Amino acid sequence: MMLNPDPDAALVERVKQGDVRAFEMLVVKYQRRIERLIARMVRDVDLVADIAQETFIRAYRALPQFRAESAFYTWLYRIAVNTAKKALVDMKRDPVTTLTALQGSDDDDETYRPGMEPTDGETPEALLASKEIAATVNAAIAALSEDLRQAITLREIEGLSYEEISDVMNCPIGTVRSRIFRAREAIAERLRPLLDTREGNRW
Amino acid sequence: MSQPDSDRSSSDSSRRILSALADGDATDSEAARAFQAWRDDPDARATWHGYQLIGDVLRSEDLASAPRADEAFLVALRARLADEPVVLAPQPRAEEVPEAVPAVANGGAATRSRARWQGPMAMAAGFLVVIGGLNVLRPFGHGPDASVAAAGGASSPLMASATAINNNGAVVPVGQQTPAQTKAAADQLAPYLAAHRQSAMNAPFQMPGNDLRNVNLVQPAQ
Repeated sequence: MMLNPDPDAALVERVKQGDVRAFEMLVVKYQRRIERLIARMVRDVDLVADIAQETFIRAYRALPQFRAESAFYTWLYRIAVNTAKKALVDMKRDPVTTLTALQGSDDDDETYRPGMEPTDGETPEALLASKEIAATVNAAIAALSEDLRQAITLREIEGLSYEEISDVMNCPIGTVRSRIFRAREAIAERLRPLLDTREGNRW
Repeated sequence: MSQPDSDRSSSDSSRRILSALADGDATDSEAARAFQAWRDDPDARATWHGYQLIGDVLRSEDLASAPRADEAFLVALRARLADEPVVLAPQPRAEEVPEAVPAVANGGAATRSRARWQGPMAMAAGFLVVIGGLNVLRPFGHGPDASVAAAGGASSPLMASATAINNNGAVVPVGQQTPAQTKAAADQLAPYLAAHRQSAMNAPFQMPGNDLRNVNLVQPAQ
């Protein structure tokens, strides 16, 4: 039983109504957490992204059966664990075939996997970019006013709902909403130079 | 080039909604606007990614990933999702909800309406049963006009047996009778049939019920 309403309920409902683009919003939200979870289970870093992709595809297929008895992320987490376990079992049984299957089934094009070109997730440049992002976020948080920092921390780190934050901070929910938005904007402002792409629009 | 005030305000409003949606606090109309923005507005998509990345980094620096990696992941998944059938979970039809309330509210009225005609109908059905029962019983008490028993018992041993059983109040289906049961029923019927034959000979009108004599044929030959 969930203590707080699932923050993803609106997105999940939208996907259930046939809006596949809304599912992309969930992917962007949870991709990093799912990849980290899988990376802790599967040592082969080359497989992490593939298993994460498979996780999201399975979740998308199973979404009509999602009954919201748990939070969407809890449900997605279970799918990721099961997908990773299955990949590990299959790898032990038939390492070569499993690797091929996980990396896509376009047998007619051995050299190209759409969108799955070697990413720069593990390159020195990427690691540097990640460190820069983390440092920038931390610096931006430190520069926030106490109210904004407390609001965003209670929300993102402690996972409190707006109602709970309004109780803790003794202010109206509308103020909580505004403070969290302003905190995000202040951090995003500092991050923007790091997130802008060379080609322009990324998404 | 500076952004016009209206655009800046619209963009600011869009980002506020995305922030609320990220926390599950957007209203339905706000959520609808956010979904539309995700489809149409590259800035909205970048904003959504930025907000989610900030949240992840606040939780753990391990989650700070290069934007290009996130982008590549989504592009790859989009290609796979394009091959998937669109998921469509059964949705309760919105217009059915308000209809459901009056349906429940009318439940009492419907019950009352049913109650109004239930009594007379039950009484009428009761009369029919009584009349039917009398018709069945009459041949044995009043002679040959009992064509019901005649027609039923005339040619079919099973039907003769059934009639006997019905008159005795038994509910065992005909097909389940043992030969011993059939004989016992026939023995019980014998005095009635004899009386009936006597009555029929004295009757002023000869009815097709003469065939009743054939009922003798249904008695098990044992």
